[in-house]
Amino acid sequence: MSSTRRPRLLVGLAALAISAIALTGCTSNAGSGNGASAGSDKDPINVGSIYEPTSLDPIKGGSSGITEAFTGNVYEGLFRITDDAKVEPLLATGYKVSDDGLTYTFPLRDATFHSGDPVTAEDVVFSLNRVLSPESLGARKKQLSVIENVVATDPKTVTVTLSKKSSSFVYNLGYVWVINHKAKDLTSSEDGSGPYTLADYRKGSSISLAPYAKYWGDKPKNSGIEFHYYTDPTALNNALLTGQVDVITALTSPDAIPQFEKSGDYKIIEGTSTTKELLAFNDRVAPFDNVQVRKAVYSAIDRKKLLESIWDGRGQLIGAMVPPSEPGYLDLKDNNPYDVDLAKKLLAESGHADGFSFTLDTPDSGVHPTVAEFIKGELAKINIDVKINLITDDKWAEKVYGAHDFQATMQDHVNDRDIYFYQNPDFYWGYNNADVQKWLDEAEAAATPQEQSDLIAKANKQISDDAASVWLYLNPQLRVAAKDITGVPVNGMNSLFYVSKIARG
Amino acid sequence: MLLSLALAVTVLFVVLRLLGNPVYALINLEATPEDIRAASAALGVDRPIFVQFADYIGGLFRGDLGTSFSSHLSVSDEILRRLNVTVPLTLISFALSVIIAIPVGFIAAWKSRTWYGTAFSALSQLGGAIPVFWVGILLVTLFALNLGVLPAGGFPRRDWEDPGAALTALTLPVLTIAIVSGSELARYVRSATLDILDRDYLRTARALGQPFSTALRRHALRNGIVPVISILAIQLATTFVGAVVVENVFALPGLGDMLIAGIRQQDFPNVQGVLLFSTILVLVIGFLGDVLQRVLDPRLRSSLSGNRRGKVSA
Repeated sequence: MSSTRRPRLLVGLAALAISAIALTGCTSNAGSGNGASAGSDKDPINVGSIYEPTSLDPIKGGSSGITEAFTGNVYEGLFRITDDAKVEPLLATGYKVSDDGLTYTFPLRDATFHSGDPVTAEDVVFSLNRVLSPESLGARKKQLSVIENVVATDPKTVTVTLSKKSSSFVYNLGYVWVINHKAKDLTSSEDGSGPYTLADYRKGSSISLAPYAKYWGDKPKNSGIEFHYYTDPTALNNALLTGQVDVITALTSPDAIPQFEKSGDYKIIEGTSTTKELLAFNDRVAPFDNVQVRKAVYSAIDRKKLLESIWDGRGQLIGAMVPPSEPGYLDLKDNNPYDVDLAKKLLAESGHADGFSFTLDTPDSGVHPTVAEFIKGELAKINIDVKINLITDDKWAEKVYGAHDFQATMQDHVNDRDIYFYQNPDFYWGYNNADVQKWLDEAEAAATPQEQSDLIAKANKQISDDAASVWLYLNPQLRVAAKDITGVPVNGMNSLFYVSKIARG
Repeated sequence: MLLSLALAVTVLFVVLRLLGNPVYALINLEATPEDIRAASAALGVDRPIFVQFADYIGGLFRGDLGTSFSSHLSVSDEILRRLNVTVPLTLISFALSVIIAIPVGFIAAWKSRTWYGTAFSALSQLGGAIPVFWVGILLVTLFALNLGVLPAGGFPRRDWEDPGAALTALTLPVLTIAIVSGSELARYVRSATLDILDRDYLRTARALGQPFSTALRRHALRNGIVPVISILAIQLATTFVGAVVVENVFALPGLGDMLIAGIRQQDFPNVQGVLLFSTILVLVIGFLGDVLQRVLDPRLRSSLSGNRRGKVSA
């Protein structure tokens, strides 16, 4: 190969190419800079989340994302569930219930939809029927199916007749959006009555909300909200660290906490969630149709150590389905104590002294695989061999939830007041106890909140005694915000996230 | 080409449906079997597969890619909107990787015995061996988290209304792709150059008294460019695919993000739409590469009539 004297040109070319890379990197420094957000009051609040709504219309398939972005912000119900799990009137000014507990009358507030139409009884009838329609996949459909009849008695009054008493009826109404019955398109636009209108919707990226000038209630404390969606939790954390967002609605793991704590520019907001991590047995099939086997498995797992390793000690041990924020809560965390000797004894009594093996269908999302590995290690101590079978969330829905084709599975149950799942013998875990079904029925028919709470507590104790599932722990609700941000909702009640009180400074 | 496309469409349609019932991606934990049946009917996935296929093909002929199972938005609108991100990302990255690759590859070959020639050669090996997402994470850590000069991800809500902000958002993703894809390309350029520098015609040209640069321009470049063009066409298609991964790392709302979300949610219309679009794009790029090669190489042009059909439809 000849080397003539031409190297300068080529080295120059290469240098040019390299400086081109460097230039692209350096000229554009318009990024919002390092550290905490430095926006003014005029700028919208940027909220980062990994829960992008799959659809703007939950009737066509729900996700927690749409509850987070829209419930109480864009759409309102007749009632609202507060951050501390109380029910208060919203579009209804209150309610009257007949002596037999079957007829509810709701007077409506003067409010207007974002399109300008007034909120009328007709809209409420439309909205309730929409949730109850056969093809609806809306949440609470099952509980709301006690509704026999909804009528607009006059333009400002709705009367609902129930087929049987339902003490949580008003609570459940907190999740039903009142939608303008004249609305044409609910998949790319909205017509609600909340403090914000949908200003812009970019599927895959963002939802922005602008204050609604004619809102009937308190004006929002910010000039608008932009939800930014990320699929990767690290990308979400980076967005906060670089000032692209002001608040993160939920941390999915505690790993990033030290990063935020170290800088001093952020505050970590810890509340309680309603998300329970479960090892759920198929109570229909051997060996988990045997209470002693279930209790043996329960007692073999050190939940405290698990919570320590997954959530760094945050969160809570519960020992049954009902979390402290709900009626019927009892401290049952030691009802099935962590005791390996007890576990061995129970296992021997059940006729499995030499142990057995089972398949644990584990969704490949979130912490489930990690938790499954932990359980595998714990159960090895009592000679139970766990075969972890990783499946996608959709496969889980089809195989476990739909076909009941499993022995045991991992799942997190995010809903509030979902102890009612144990009332349904056809639910995926197939728990079937006549007393529990009766008590929960009676709780629905209860005359007072105290009576309701006592009955739920009885059912809660029973499912714990039966080790219907293993309730590993209750997730903490961890949000992180830049230091100057105030008014961020603390608790994660079933993904609700009211944004109107969030402000800078 | 049309045959490849028809095959791709059919295989895709069938394989997707083996994944399972998309309704299960939509239900909540209270849905009853009746709810699931009603929702399947609403999506139309309860019909026999050939009815669904006929429906889909009929739609394609009308230019209708259908409606998303999850968001219920029009698939073609969604694809068009997301091209705002993916097309600039792909083209800028590609241009940058060519700008890097040609001088680097050439010097690595021509100066293969000097220290910088070896260094370039080693760098291109290294750059091509690192996974794209890892380069992305590295760049985010350096430029976004430590130096704070560039955003860690995301794309401005107003798209290209503010070109500065849009370009800023694309800088790190573009660098990420350009480093990896540029390194791969540099290796091709290096081997093509090495090949040519050893050729007799170059030596003959020098012997005839042509200066090295003239010999290079007249003979080496014209001979060397032909294999490089076919590689470029493949590389452009690869860059487009690489954009899928990079969009995920940088939270960019492009086609890749749409594809991955679609697969996760078993949103068949979205997945089919994106893949159909990508398939067409890759076929068209390949076709244009072939045409360009013929324009540049008289030998290929002369055998045009005999060779064309077989080559182009490949």
